[in-house]
Amino acid sequence: MKADEPSRARLMGQAQAGDKQAYAALLDECQLWLRRYFGRRVAPGQLDDLVQETLMALHQKLASWDSARAFLPWLAAIARYRWVDYLRRIYRFQETELIDDLMGTDEEPAIAARISLERLFAQLPRPQVRAIELVRIEGLSVSEASKACGQSESLIKVNIHRGLKKLTAMIEKA
Amino acid sequence: MSRDTNALIAELVDGLAPVRPLRFSSGLGFALAGLGVTVTTVALLFGIRSDVIQGRFDPVFLLATGLFLLLGLASAVTVIVMSRPRVGSDHSGWLWAAAMAALLPLAATIIGLGRGSDAFTANAALHGIVCLIDGSALGLLTFAVLVWWLRRGAPTSPERAGLLTGIAAGSFGIFAFSFHCVYSDIVHIGLWHSAVVVMSAGLGRIAVPRLIRW
Repeated sequence: MKADEPSRARLMGQAQAGDKQAYAALLDECQLWLRRYFGRRVAPGQLDDLVQETLMALHQKLASWDSARAFLPWLAAIARYRWVDYLRRIYRFQETELIDDLMGTDEEPAIAARISLERLFAQLPRPQVRAIELVRIEGLSVSEASKACGQSESLIKVNIHRGLKKLTAMIEKA
Repeated sequence: MSRDTNALIAELVDGLAPVRPLRFSSGLGFALAGLGVTVTTVALLFGIRSDVIQGRFDPVFLLATGLFLLLGLASAVTVIVMSRPRVGSDHSGWLWAAAMAALLPLAATIIGLGRGSDAFTANAALHGIVCLIDGSALGLLTFAVLVWWLRRGAPTSPERAGLLTGIAAGSFGIFAFSFHCVYSDIVHIGLWHSAVVVMSAGLGRIAVPRLIRW
């Protein structure tokens, strides 16, 4: 059964007061909501991890919900924060993988990152996507990327900078 | 539904303990208490300037301290609000206070350039450095209070929260020290007192995110 906003806020108020039954009902409800939220943003294989991370964050930061305000915008802010953190982590992981020259380990995290990025890339201009793909994902140097796509070296740098800035802004506003 | 997630939920429910929700009024109360302690520290350690004790206020002193107080309040309030996350919140109100306070270094630069080298003597720089060091040190209490508050909360923009913590700390620090500093000159206040806020903001932007990330 889907709870409405007043029900969620009531359950959360009870959970803050230590009511375990209300908290269990609320977490079940949050799990469903988080699955829908992350389902549109990450690869299916990463969904469980993110949902669980967010539930743990919710548990740690229970005191930061203000009973005078709606519950869902609070949960969404926590979910978005975990999502941004996830994207940063997986992006760093991918860069490390490239530096290590792809040792042939499990490629699932890299594929997952790729799927997330594809969705974000759809909203960027093509030259910026190309510059980020060549240098940050495929691991080419700026001069190699310049030769590969025909953009000047300085334009490659500008497009990477602008593209990543836009990606960050998109994530923050999502 | 995932079996693991359900097991996690059962663990979380089992570990639930009552929590006291973070109240805006409590956060503001702690920040203002920190400011009160800081001003008292200035009065006890350094002493209050004589014209203020006598009730004769210099207009530049009044305007500058008022602007630093407003900037500190606007930044501290934003930090406290940021500790309770919410999608769609607008945390840009402090920018107006910052823009108003930025008139001080702007005015100082214009007046200083008009005065020429007289405005930038070694003696003036020495007094300025004293204000910079003492004002920054006095901001540490506000800095600690706001970081502690942010750690209790759930800030979702750690970089901005860090920047604003630094601005609030620097503003409150130099506001308090202004009650001791005998200089009401716009060049001194606009350059050196503003530098406290800028330096503190930079420190907050660099140091605070790693202290509050969750």
